[in-house]
Amino acid sequence: MLNNLISVKNLKKSFGGIKAVDVQELSFIEGELTSIIGPNGAGKTTFFDLISGFQNADSGDVFLKANNISNSQPYKIARMGMVRTFQLTKVFDRMTVMENLLFSGSNVNNDSFLRSIFKLNSQKVYEKSLKDKANEIMNNLNIGHMADSYARELSGGQKKLLELARAIINDPEILLLDEPLAGVNPKLAEDILSLIKKLSEDGITVIMVEHNIEAVMKISERIVVLAEGSLIADGSPSEIRTNNNVIEAYLGKSDE
Amino acid sequence: MITKRFSLQYIFAFSLTIFSIYLVFFLNPEGAPRIVLNLFTFAGIYGLSAIGLNVHFGWTGLLNFGHASFMGVGAYVTLLLMPHAAGREGVVITTGLPFFAALTIGIIAASLFGLLLGLPAIRLRGDYLAIVTIAAAEIFRLLVRDLESITGGVYGIINYTENFQRYRPSFIDDLSDNLDFSASQGWVCIAAWISILFIVLFLKRLNNSPWGRALRAVREDEDAVRAMGKNAVWLKLQSFMLGAGIAGLSGVLLAFNYGSLESTVFIPLLTFYVWAIMILGGVGTITGPIFGSIIFWVIISETDRLAYILFENANGQQLAGVRFLLVGVLIMFLMIFRPNGLLGKKEELLLDVK
Amino acid sequence: MLDQLGNGLLLGIIISVASVALSLLYGVTRIVNFAHGEIIALGAIATLFFSSPLDYRVLFLEKFSPLGLNFVISCFLAILVCGLFGGLLEVFLFRPLRKNDVGNIAVLVVTIGLSILVRHLYLLFATGKVQNFPLELQRRQTYLFFDMTPRNFNVLIAGIIVMIIVGLLLTYTRLGKAMRAVRDSEELSSVSGINSDNIILLTWVASSMLAGLAGIFQATINDVRWNMGFLILLLIFAGTVLGGIGTSFGAMVGGFMIGILVQVSVGLPFMEGHAEAKNAVALGIMILILLFRPQGIFGQKERIS
Ligand SMILES: Nc1ncnc2c1ncn2[C@@H]1O[C@H](COP(=O)(O)OP(=O)(O)OP(=O)(O)O)[C@@H](O)[C@H]1O
Ligand SMILES: [Mg+2]
Repeated sequence: MLNNLISVKNLKKSFGGIKAVDVQELSFIEGELTSIIGPNGAGKTTFFDLISGFQNADSGDVFLKANNISNSQPYKIARMGMVRTFQLTKVFDRMTVMENLLFSGSNVNNDSFLRSIFKLNSQKVYEKSLKDKANEIMNNLNIGHMADSYARELSGGQKKLLELARAIINDPEILLLDEPLAGVNPKLAEDILSLIKKLSEDGITVIMVEHNIEAVMKISERIVVLAEGSLIADGSPSEIRTNNNVIEAYLGKSDE
Repeated sequence: MITKRFSLQYIFAFSLTIFSIYLVFFLNPEGAPRIVLNLFTFAGIYGLSAIGLNVHFGWTGLLNFGHASFMGVGAYVTLLLMPHAAGREGVVITTGLPFFAALTIGIIAASLFGLLLGLPAIRLRGDYLAIVTIAAAEIFRLLVRDLESITGGVYGIINYTENFQRYRPSFIDDLSDNLDFSASQGWVCIAAWISILFIVLFLKRLNNSPWGRALRAVREDEDAVRAMGKNAVWLKLQSFMLGAGIAGLSGVLLAFNYGSLESTVFIPLLTFYVWAIMILGGVGTITGPIFGSIIFWVIISETDRLAYILFENANGQQLAGVRFLLVGVLIMFLMIFRPNGLLGKKEELLLDVK
Repeated sequence: MLDQLGNGLLLGIIISVASVALSLLYGVTRIVNFAHGEIIALGAIATLFFSSPLDYRVLFLEKFSPLGLNFVISCFLAILVCGLFGGLLEVFLFRPLRKNDVGNIAVLVVTIGLSILVRHLYLLFATGKVQNFPLELQRRQTYLFFDMTPRNFNVLIAGIIVMIIVGLLLTYTRLGKAMRAVRDSEELSSVSGINSDNIILLTWVASSMLAGLAGIFQATINDVRWNMGFLILLLIFAGTVLGGIGTSFGAMVGGFMIGILVQVSVGLPFMEGHAEAKNAVALGIMILILLFRPQGIFGQKERIS
């Protein structure tokens, strides 16, 4: 239990007759870069929804740093340091890219009504530092030139980048990324991958859902495979590559 | 580039406002000061209310159709706390708080009512919230009408204006003698526009603050707000309280403008008026409702002419009918052809609120 | 309390028919139609126009003579007029808005403007004064355990029959199934060969005809007023919500329950002397339902937050 940052027990969720998630036991270890893979509809996004509080499980528990967060509000879970992105991007359309980041990075005190009335100097200093941080992150992700555009003017891939940037500026301990590479061009995908790797090296626990199997194999320390809601494999990339269950359910025969 | 088009919008709105006021003078060679004062008083009061509504809808995306009740709570609480007379018999109550104390409590009460009405917003999405707020506002009105022993019901409250008029500066009386308008309305008008000035400055400050930014984020996508560790519910409730407080203040001013207050003032049409003004001025803007309100009231005050063209010897019902009819047309027309109003930004149009 | 039951049943059938109409439209188009009450009033006003005696010059600027037709024929004509009106609204107003991707909320505001406009057109040009259908007065009789006039009893029976027919049509006809398909997914139905534009048009027509019928009921039981639809609009919302939004069966029962509740609540001990506030009870219940059982009594669990 010592290094298990997140663990779930008997987590179940179904929609009508469809069993979306049914995981007996699964833990994620502090600092490890884990990927979750599996066919479409395997329950990966639902799993993220369950552990980040956006959906309530039918039964089972989720623990974050030994706290039971099964029924916690999403914002409380985020404040505990677990920040997620969405598969279908949710950017603040009619706010600029910069505002998207400033909002996401700003802490609760800074957002408070009273502080916003009095606008003390400390708030200005804080906002300034946020702005610098936002600029740095945007430049790393090649969206610096869009800082003053409305977020809805971004392309699909750029929105993905914005979501990633928003999650990063929030200083998470744990980062849940739902298909960060979907719709991003190959060159940029490389950059994002190295960024994720760097975040992981900086000590952030990254859990990533991704269909790009090359990328997953390249950077993951551990891979978890879901199919029809259940865990069918869990191990290092090389173990997964040769696991028969996985080949059958997801990867397909490699030589054909 | 953006700023240029923006200032063009301002110039247009400003010119249109000036022109419409000029039109009133032009059409009413007799008694223009009285008419214009009346117009500006209503414009100020309704504009203030629309500014509050804009905090709800424009900033936070909350579909509030119960705005009349916030105005009502502010007005009733304030008036009932001061010396007044109420009901069919006109029962006189001579004790009470001084105006400013009562006003403060009235505004707080309106805010708290906003908090109460905001609670459903925790769970409900756009159109459901619209139905709940309009229903709650109706419940409020029905209760006020029913609790005749306190609120005066349909007989209303009277004899309260002195509480406020006693602070009237004497220059207004001098002016009113010369220009032939009602001094007490002049004082209400000044109070309304001073309130607008302060509220606008206050909101401008808030809009450019992290708090204002957070409200806009709630408007855009609540899930994303939550994912960033922000309490979207609390932000919505705060927005409800702020907007409701502003509406409460405007309700008090409305009561002082009328000189007597009864429950029928707060029918849903009042809310729809305020919506029309907000859309006309520009959803999501701060100063838009001011221009919107003046132009709206110019239209309203001159519709009687139209009524007289349609009906010889139009009676009160027909005058009111034509007026409301135009409001309906205005709302439809704006929503279809110019939903960003006078000052709204096209890019920030709230057409697809979820 | 029992003497209020008859009134409750009558208000119930009005709200019930109107709620089914509203919920049908909402189910298929997702439009919260604030102008629904005006279509209801149109049913009553058109009937009044068709059926009033020729020398009865109150309507329409006192310039046009009513038609003096048989009352039942007038009702049918009025319902057709309502259907036509609904169809025209769809073709000339709501379809263009939909094609331009105008959002639901903007459309909601448009229906509010429309409601204000049409309502005051009635006030100005149709029924500035309260009117009655040209029907003779009747004495109340006792049916089972409630009192009402024979005519109102017929209204009640007619309403129930109509509700049954509507239910059967929705369940068993191709059109009814198609409406439910569009409700469930517009894209899906256009793929599977159902023309969703036509379905929506037919929904508008059907919903408006039902609304017109509700208006005729309301006017037969009470009277014709320019704002008669708006007065009960919120009760109709309440009925729709209570039964479960988007379910026709739910709206039927929900509407009935709201009607009975409103009238019966007048007889409750704590409501003594507060008859004016009776609608507040129904509205309060609607709010509670929305908060704690948003899918209504019969609706399926659907995420509405
Ligand atoms: N809100 C919902 N209502 C009904 N069924 C749902 C809902 N959300 C998910 N499902 C079902 O649950 C299953 C898991 O869906 P989920 O989105 O978690 O899959 P996923 O692994 O993320 O797939 P993908 O790789 O395509 O993103 C699917 O069969 C899906 O149809
Ligand atoms: Mg997914």
